[in-house]
Amino acid sequence: MNRLSRIAPLILTLAVALATVPALSPAASKNDGRPDGGSLAYGEYGRPATLDPITSNEMISLRITELVFNGLVGIDEKQVIIPELAERWEVSKDGRTYTFFLRKDVRWHPREGEGPKPFTAEDVLFTYNIMMHPKTITPLKVRYEFIEKVEKVDDATVRFTLKRPILNALAKFTFKVIPAHGPANSQFLTREDPFVRSPIGTGPYTVKGITADREIVLMANEDYFKGRPHINKFVSRPFADQNIMTQAMMFNAIDMLVLVNPRDLPELQGDKRFVLQPYNALSYAFFGYNLRNPLLADKRVRRAFTHAVNRQEMLDSFFNGQGTIISGPFAPGSWAYNLDVQPLPHDPAKAVALLKEAGFSAGPDGMMQKDGKPLALSLKVPIEKESEAVKRVVLAFQNYLKAIGVTVKVEFKEWQAWKDAVFVEHDFDVILASWVFDDSADISSLFHSAEIGAWKNNFGGYSNPEVDGLIVESKLTLDHEKRRTINRKLHALLAEEAPYTFLWTLTNYSGYHKKLRRVAIHPYKFFSFADEWFIPVTEQK
Amino acid sequence: MAARELALTALLLVGVSLVVFVILHLSPGDPFSVLLEGQGSGHAVSTSVREALGVPTTWYGRYLAWLGNMAHGNLGTSIRTGVPVASEIARAGPSTLYLTLGSLLVTLLLAVPVALYSTSRTAGALARALTLAVYLVSAVPVFWLGYVVIYLVIHRFGVFPLLSASAEPARHGWLYGLLPIVVLGVANGTVSEVTRHLRGEIGRVLTEDYIRTARAKGAPVWRHAFKEGFLLPMTEMIAAKIPFVIGGAIIVEQVFNWPGLGRMAWQAAQDRDFPVILGIALVAAAFVRLASLLRSVIYAGVNPRTATE
Amino acid sequence: MRRYREAAGEVAERPERSRWRAAALGDRAAVGYGLLVVGLVVISYVVGAAGWLPDDPSRMDMARLNAPPGAGHALGTDFLGRDILSRLIVGIQAYFLPGLLAVAISLALGAALGVTAGYRGGRAEALVTYLSNLVDAVPRLVLVLLVIAAFRADIYYVMLVVGITGAPAVASIIAGKIQFLRQKSFIEAAHVLGLPTRVIVLKHILWYNCAPLLIIQATLGMGEAILVETSLSYLGFGVQEPTPSWGNMVQAGANYFFHGKFWPSTAPALAILFTILGFHLLGDGLNNILESKSAS
Repeated sequence: MNRLSRIAPLILTLAVALATVPALSPAASKNDGRPDGGSLAYGEYGRPATLDPITSNEMISLRITELVFNGLVGIDEKQVIIPELAERWEVSKDGRTYTFFLRKDVRWHPREGEGPKPFTAEDVLFTYNIMMHPKTITPLKVRYEFIEKVEKVDDATVRFTLKRPILNALAKFTFKVIPAHGPANSQFLTREDPFVRSPIGTGPYTVKGITADREIVLMANEDYFKGRPHINKFVSRPFADQNIMTQAMMFNAIDMLVLVNPRDLPELQGDKRFVLQPYNALSYAFFGYNLRNPLLADKRVRRAFTHAVNRQEMLDSFFNGQGTIISGPFAPGSWAYNLDVQPLPHDPAKAVALLKEAGFSAGPDGMMQKDGKPLALSLKVPIEKESEAVKRVVLAFQNYLKAIGVTVKVEFKEWQAWKDAVFVEHDFDVILASWVFDDSADISSLFHSAEIGAWKNNFGGYSNPEVDGLIVESKLTLDHEKRRTINRKLHALLAEEAPYTFLWTLTNYSGYHKKLRRVAIHPYKFFSFADEWFIPVTEQK
Repeated sequence: MAARELALTALLLVGVSLVVFVILHLSPGDPFSVLLEGQGSGHAVSTSVREALGVPTTWYGRYLAWLGNMAHGNLGTSIRTGVPVASEIARAGPSTLYLTLGSLLVTLLLAVPVALYSTSRTAGALARALTLAVYLVSAVPVFWLGYVVIYLVIHRFGVFPLLSASAEPARHGWLYGLLPIVVLGVANGTVSEVTRHLRGEIGRVLTEDYIRTARAKGAPVWRHAFKEGFLLPMTEMIAAKIPFVIGGAIIVEQVFNWPGLGRMAWQAAQDRDFPVILGIALVAAAFVRLASLLRSVIYAGVNPRTATE
Repeated sequence: MRRYREAAGEVAERPERSRWRAAALGDRAAVGYGLLVVGLVVISYVVGAAGWLPDDPSRMDMARLNAPPGAGHALGTDFLGRDILSRLIVGIQAYFLPGLLAVAISLALGAALGVTAGYRGGRAEALVTYLSNLVDAVPRLVLVLLVIAAFRADIYYVMLVVGITGAPAVASIIAGKIQFLRQKSFIEAAHVLGLPTRVIVLKHILWYNCAPLLIIQATLGMGEAILVETSLSYLGFGVQEPTPSWGNMVQAGANYFFHGKFWPSTAPALAILFTILGFHLLGDGLNNILESKSAS
């Protein structure tokens, strides 16, 4: 299902308790009594286009940059902001000025034949400038428009001035810093720059190279400022076929799968050699309706569809029951999700009743119609090579709706054509897709009426002044508790209005060989804590 | 003669590039949208991308620019990865070359004995059975055969034979180099045609009048029969079937995780990475052309008459 | 440049029955099997179109996904619990019209090119040779992927490409035939008799002398269409659900191959295998029968 998330992931802020933890004392080795050594090969479905944190725009690259780079601040396993390249920071009273005091003991990965260069405030300025340069094509740009300016106070101090105070601004300073001496072009970064293929960072692993088989080899950074990572070598191995990737895992050609295909879970579950570790990505799947179609503008029709689908049956049959059915627009697991709102139950009789209430009646062929016009909809789905889960869900949807007398025509379209149809031409009735939130719960771009239009995320054209009001109010509120209350209201309202049939959040599973120990996984960036992972000496081979 | 052939080849390659270019130009999609994945891509953003990358706006402008670069041996850079297409192809090409030539060899190893045996005078039921078997395997869906073979290998040896340069050679690692060429050689869909063609040609040559006469006189006929009935049809078939084998390589490379041009082509088609698609089509065409040039040379060598044709 | 296979050099029609009787037993068996397959395909098409199926091919049984062959489902069920046998029968429809389209394009375009090259010669022949080489130079699957990337993943687009790429082979057969007829001074004779060119080309060259070869080519083209669609299904670009095709059935079933569930992919794979075998044998047998007759 994650493949659906090729829909522009929502990149939003992290909302967590902002406790500040004292800086760690630097050490050459971690001295935590755990052994160093061993190597880890993990499988990825597809090849990354670039390896730097600026130009990359897919998950495979994002995971690698997590191993190679650091941000000014980081996030720990409890989702708390911790110091990383900045050892401490100060925030002005008005919330507009953030001053970061940088570590002085951080050095960039050395290039071949060169000594390591120290990390300074210049690098932070450089990163920001290159990111915002008009000729740099990066998804990050829109995330950092809230920054007014960046200044270097001295070599170890940088000051960011914000255009306006925003909630949880600190979490945005997790962006990865690249070295001023890294890219060949010091003005802007394109994919033709050699830096995007052989980047250097400050992180726990250095990019050693890309082999002829397109494996990306990463070696432990002996000089890492948080202490040398335990595992010597990471190898990212690209696959073009998910069935083969799972077999490679089963037969020891790789040690880890970042995301196990749901259909292969039973295979791995029964195997004592492997650990399956769940991690909850902040994402959910849904059927989205085009409210421009007068048939779908009636919320009773949309609610009828939601009653008609048996979400539990799909979850159990197609995903081994690994997921949670949701009732509203926030990812469960986020603070904004309202657990008091229950998902609509599977109830075909109720669905039919709702349709009748909306003026439909069964025609001579048993299909629902109004004024002689049948209730027939087109469901558009992008074509993907690995799309079994999508096929299953849309075809099951078709079946469920057929049972209440609604005709759904499933149409598979090539990816770019699908995006055009949905986001530009708005030529669809229903889509199946999913949203991925990177850390937070801002749904304003999905349901606010100002977001209706070409290439905007409110593709269904949902417009409701009450929802607009709540969204704006939530955005302007800087108090966390108040904001939570508003979002709970928003959740209840959208659940009632059903602009989507909200489906579920799937539990992602990473599968790995049990020789790997102390594996903690970041739900989105995955490798954030990989420097702490280790392999017992006896199993390093 | 040679100059004419080379000129024809150049003309063909220009033709191929033009055809590919026109098809891509007619496409409603935007190749640069891959760069904008993950940000709210719109036409305004897309235009700024083009400006940032300095892309000519008309298709013939782009084509002429591309041809100009091509003349300097520059195939452009991949939109998706930013790597020069020529160096990508040089990197992935040898894997595909190995796969293609290796599987052609496998095809011939299958087809030639069957064809020879079934034209021999003693051929009987066995020859028919063999032909039938050859026809049967050439209709197997190639990826399915790949799965079957991998399944058998992992359950026989307990090892997934994965090609890997970074790890120490695995047990039965040699299998990895062998399996894809066997699978592609068997199931590229050409075995049956190669067999049929060879059998037909050999049969035809053997029934030619002067061969019959020579045979009646007790003179050795194998030399002529070898040249006319075997060497020529075989080079003919190799030249004609290379495009099919390359096509099959696209599938086999996916199944066997083989780092070649086929995977590149598939990825590029998905991303509409035009420079890469063009580059691959061109290299494939050049390769196919090379094979037919080779065929002409062999023809000319065997039978000087055809050289003037 | 091309070398041609000269078969069936006879100018006039011959009584078909005597050819059939004279043919070797093996050839008759091959043709018989081929005709059986063609017959089955046609019957499946009719049965599928009329809806006389063991089960509704789109009915899902969520409790029995990938169920093994057994009661109620002679060949088991697929990844959505649908009856595989019914889907196999309906699946042939996916190839019927598109496959015929591909074959028709190959034959029409190939005949046009072949006649032009063989009949006119000179510059026209050079141009046809160039075009044929052009089409032959790009691997077909690469071309198909290109067209899909540029336009859309529609089986008719794919078959258009398959049809065009099949044309050079047809053209070379016809051009070769014409050359052969020229050597026999048949064409000159016809001109001397005052027959219009159109009649000579359509009736005497194409119909009397090339029809059997073209039929053989057509059966092979049908097999090609099935194999190309199957490969594309693996890449995700074949016939799309919920329409069943043998290719997308093999692909969907193959996802469970490594789980030890072989039947969902093996049944359609075998269907492909034996059908294409039938096409090959039909072509082969016909060819042998025609050739042996002309040799005798």
